[in-house]
Amino acid sequence: MIEMYKEWYDARHEYAKEWKKKTGGKVLGYFCTYVPEEILYAAGVLPVRILGSHETQNLTEPHIFAMFCPFCRDCLAQGLEGRYSYLDGIMIAQSCLHVRQAYTSWDLHIPTEFSYYLPMPHHVQSPHATAFLRGEYELFIKKVERWTGRKITDKDLQRGIDIMNRSRNLMKAVYETRKKEDVPMTGLEAMQMVVSSQMTEKAEHARITEGVLNELEGRSRGKEKATRVMLLGSENDDVKFIEMVESLDAVIVHDDHCTGTRYFWDTVEANGDPLTSIAQRYIDRLPCPTKDWPERRRVERILQFVKEWNVAGAIIIQQKFCDPHEIDIPAIRTALEDAGVKVLFLEFDVTVPVGQFKIRVEAFLEMLSGDDLF
Amino acid sequence: MAEEQKKTEYWRWTESRWTNPDIDWKQGGIVSAGVDVGSVSTQAVIMVDGQLYCSSSMRTGSDSPESANSAMKWALEGTGLTTDKIQATVGTGYGRVNVPFATKAITEIACHARGGNFIYGPQVRTILDMGGQDCKAIRCDEKGKVTAFLMNDKCAAGTGRGMEVFADLLGVHINDVGKMSLQVDTEPPPVSSTCVVFAKSEASGLLRQGWPKEKVLAAYCSAMAHRVVTLLERIGVEKEFAITGGIAKNIGIVNRLSKELNVTPLKSDLDPQIAGAIGGALFAKVLFEKKGK
Repeated sequence: MIEMYKEWYDARHEYAKEWKKKTGGKVLGYFCTYVPEEILYAAGVLPVRILGSHETQNLTEPHIFAMFCPFCRDCLAQGLEGRYSYLDGIMIAQSCLHVRQAYTSWDLHIPTEFSYYLPMPHHVQSPHATAFLRGEYELFIKKVERWTGRKITDKDLQRGIDIMNRSRNLMKAVYETRKKEDVPMTGLEAMQMVVSSQMTEKAEHARITEGVLNELEGRSRGKEKATRVMLLGSENDDVKFIEMVESLDAVIVHDDHCTGTRYFWDTVEANGDPLTSIAQRYIDRLPCPTKDWPERRRVERILQFVKEWNVAGAIIIQQKFCDPHEIDIPAIRTALEDAGVKVLFLEFDVTVPVGQFKIRVEAFLEMLSGDDLF
Repeated sequence: MAEEQKKTEYWRWTESRWTNPDIDWKQGGIVSAGVDVGSVSTQAVIMVDGQLYCSSSMRTGSDSPESANSAMKWALEGTGLTTDKIQATVGTGYGRVNVPFATKAITEIACHARGGNFIYGPQVRTILDMGGQDCKAIRCDEKGKVTAFLMNDKCAAGTGRGMEVFADLLGVHINDVGKMSLQVDTEPPPVSSTCVVFAKSEASGLLRQGWPKEKVLAAYCSAMAHRVVTLLERIGVEKEFAITGGIAKNIGIVNRLSKELNVTPLKSDLDPQIAGAIGGALFAKVLFEKKGK
């Protein structure tokens, strides 16, 4: 069953087109994981995340500065290539300037019937943040209702919350299995599980994940002796890189990525009003560095993961030109090293120089391995 | 025609081989080897019971396995020793997985730390490996085990290849580049870009302006040293400090580097270019011993 994730990941566009044909529903492409999918599920809309394809291109040169991150350019390129032509709408929740540029440029050049900019507050640590976001959600809901011609009730919102929470809890249960000494799944499979959940209908994805949980019980990958590694960074669905790391004597057991834990780790806690509950979830979730100040709350969570998943080494993957992540790196590196976890830092572009990264990763693993050779 | 072409190969550094006259391999126990197939040069080292017995250093060809074979063959030349007598071999360097007769491949980062420890002694804590196509700042413990490392990014600036390009441009033999770069009364400002291609165009401009070769070389060596210093400063230089790799033989870089860092690198009579292969041979010895147990 686990191979379903890869199938979905590889055929993301075919899946969405098929879903449209089957249901007659609307598909919305979103740019950042701060978009409240609960509301979209409540509206009967299928949210799919817009991601890049990791191919070199020059289509975006006239539209985005070359010193903006490779990820935002790769995303826009997909739109300009016409690969998302089936989308009925697009939206973004305010994240960083770079990906917002991808959104605004997409909006300008690839017209869709619905486009929405959700002003997600950066200062999530403000006592007013939840109330502000709830207010923004009300405006957003009105726009969505006008678009779909369908009222969104509290019951709908509750359904949206249930769908999202079920998916999150199942994926967390899968991550729990990675605590085992004989980690039953690869880091690539875990990444593809999370990313495919961003591209498929959540209830369908959850059914597969239930099966995967059973499958994982008796599964062994025979890598008990391998070095336990955690990946950290912004967005990472770099298949080639992850494959290369796991082709060595390493096993990826956890991550801090928005194509990983930052996306799904936190659930919506019901506290009466569904809209407030949703807003509270996005305010309190594992933060993206654009929102993790003045206090760095992410560091504490990372250290907790490291401890519980018994991580020996951390690889920080930095998207070139991603300033918000860059500014967090010294703090994260120090915290990890103080906790006895060695850190390898790598700067990523759209394509990965596998050979050059391989020697760094190999040397990193040699450094972490015992004194066998001395 | 062929002779004329040979004259213009200023980049061609001297290939060499060496045998330790004090060792007779027939008396020894473990014969281990390390082969460092770099992007520019290949070295083979054979050790007898952890003592340096013979070595070779030559240019890497287009085919990694062939380069490894030739370096090995040359190192063994005249020793009476044959490959079948070698009990374990470690392949390292850019072509580490392509060493046909290797027991194991280990990164050049680990091998240079181990080799640096052998050449310069256990007091070495920081090693700068200036190779043909990349540059590594390595911190290690008293056993020569890596504790931290940093590599330059995807560009050949500050590397041996860059130096070869300059030797060619100025028509100065690569072995003389370092010495010549010190023959200036005052140090010129460094070339502003350390990208090899850009630096080359900048240097052509300086030559046209009438700068003597010595001054242009000084400007390039100083830019290169500065670039490496920033790499070292990111990782922190703890004493003792040593340089390995081909550039360690370039006094123009080494002097400027020591001045900027305010640290004198350790000296040795051994060739710093074979450090990686030495590390490989030492690891090979341990691999063989462990296997026997």
